[in-house]
Amino acid sequence: MGAMKVVVSRSGGLAGLRVTWDVQVDDQPDAAAWMAFLQQLPWDEAEDTTPAPDRFVYRIRCAPHEVVLAEPQVHGPWKDLIDRVRAVSER
Amino acid sequence: MTGTDHTRRPVPSSAVPSQAVGPVHCGIVPPYLLAHLATVDDPRFSAAAEAARRSLRVDAPIRSLRSSDNRPTARPAVPAPGMAGVVRRTIWDADHLQSLPGRIVRTEGAPPVADVTVNEAYTGLGDTHDLFWSRYQLDSIDGRGLPLDATVHYGQAYDNAFWDGQRMVFGDGDGEVFNRFTLSLSVIAHELTHGVTQYSANLAYRNQSGALNESVSDVFGALAEQYAAGQDTASASWLIGEGLFTDEVQGQALRSMKAPGTAYDDDVLGTDPQPGSIAGYIDTDADNGGVHLNSGIPNRAFYLVAAAIGGNAWEAPGQIWYDTLTGSDLTETSTFAVFARATETAAVARFGRGSREHEAVRTGWDGVGLPLSPLRAAS
Repeated sequence: MGAMKVVVSRSGGLAGLRVTWDVQVDDQPDAAAWMAFLQQLPWDEAEDTTPAPDRFVYRIRCAPHEVVLAEPQVHGPWKDLIDRVRAVSER
Repeated sequence: MTGTDHTRRPVPSSAVPSQAVGPVHCGIVPPYLLAHLATVDDPRFSAAAEAARRSLRVDAPIRSLRSSDNRPTARPAVPAPGMAGVVRRTIWDADHLQSLPGRIVRTEGAPPVADVTVNEAYTGLGDTHDLFWSRYQLDSIDGRGLPLDATVHYGQAYDNAFWDGQRMVFGDGDGEVFNRFTLSLSVIAHELTHGVTQYSANLAYRNQSGALNESVSDVFGALAEQYAAGQDTASASWLIGEGLFTDEVQGQALRSMKAPGTAYDDDVLGTDPQPGSIAGYIDTDADNGGVHLNSGIPNRAFYLVAAAIGGNAWEAPGQIWYDTLTGSDLTETSTFAVFARATETAAVARFGRGSREHEAVRTGWDGVGLPLSPLRAAS
């Protein structure tokens, strides 16, 4: 098992500016909780992205998983994940 | 035609960040704006970082409003007699919440209110409606007098504006990097034009057709501003979102149609990544295939057409682009090449083969590396 990393990239928006946040899971004091949270995400159930004018687009990667979500699709556990990654990344 | 491989180009490493990410405790890919804001120890941007975090939590309620039922593909219909060209605006206030539409704060014909943001949205919608109606006889977004609805004060310090399929939505910006998004008429008109495109060519918001969708919004965004200010091609700024950045940012605007890639060059934002010719086409999965990046190419083509014709860009140049958008030569997945040819067809139809306008269109596309082969004689 290699190091687990979660990467969230936000692109789009009217300004078209791209931002990326990431978390090295193994370095977190609550790594076990992160692992459990990541494993229960509905990686294979993500809906197809429906592009929406000037909305943000999120790409979430955690090998071997990857999902792309349009901003209107970011809710529930995905919103929770993005909030968590962003909070840690900006700490 | 659906094949797009021939349109793909190598990704300039200087223009697009790689998939690699920065150090863990940095967690960002410079030079893009908010990522840097999140970690710099610069008091200028502390509120911006917080605003960026809040902007993540503002989207779920919209989802229920967007359905395929709201995305008609019909071309604009003939206006209803007697009612044509009457603008009907309603401005809502989201009160910094994340739900739409909010509460009504100004309706058509009502006097200005104390909130400048509300008045800017109201006036901006009117100016944009005026351009489409008085210049192109398009009666509102759908050609049938659709009421113009907008919500302001969406979310807390939300750094964006968008068209949700039914209404225009404007954030206040964080106040440190972005000002309020109603401040720019080109941005208001950009959003309204997304509605016009939805009801006409309905260009798919991905890859080249998506970049065309974006470009059309920038074109009529700029034209609404020029028309309202009475600026001809030579005197106009050709900037999109001028004034949106605060004084803290080294940049004039979000984009430049005249010189893509020059709108900003800032230690926090980085450099405007827009290409101005097909040689710089950015092949990326981000941003629905770089729709806000590659729009620089057709944007500059339009500017070059306007420069070649001279005078007011909302006249012949705008008419040609309007005819193209609402005509029958585009499909939802049109490429740059198809769009370019459609503008030539539109120019010939309205101004004649070999006319100054026709030649200007050819010059414009040639200038961005998309030369048009000789047009076959009309059958």
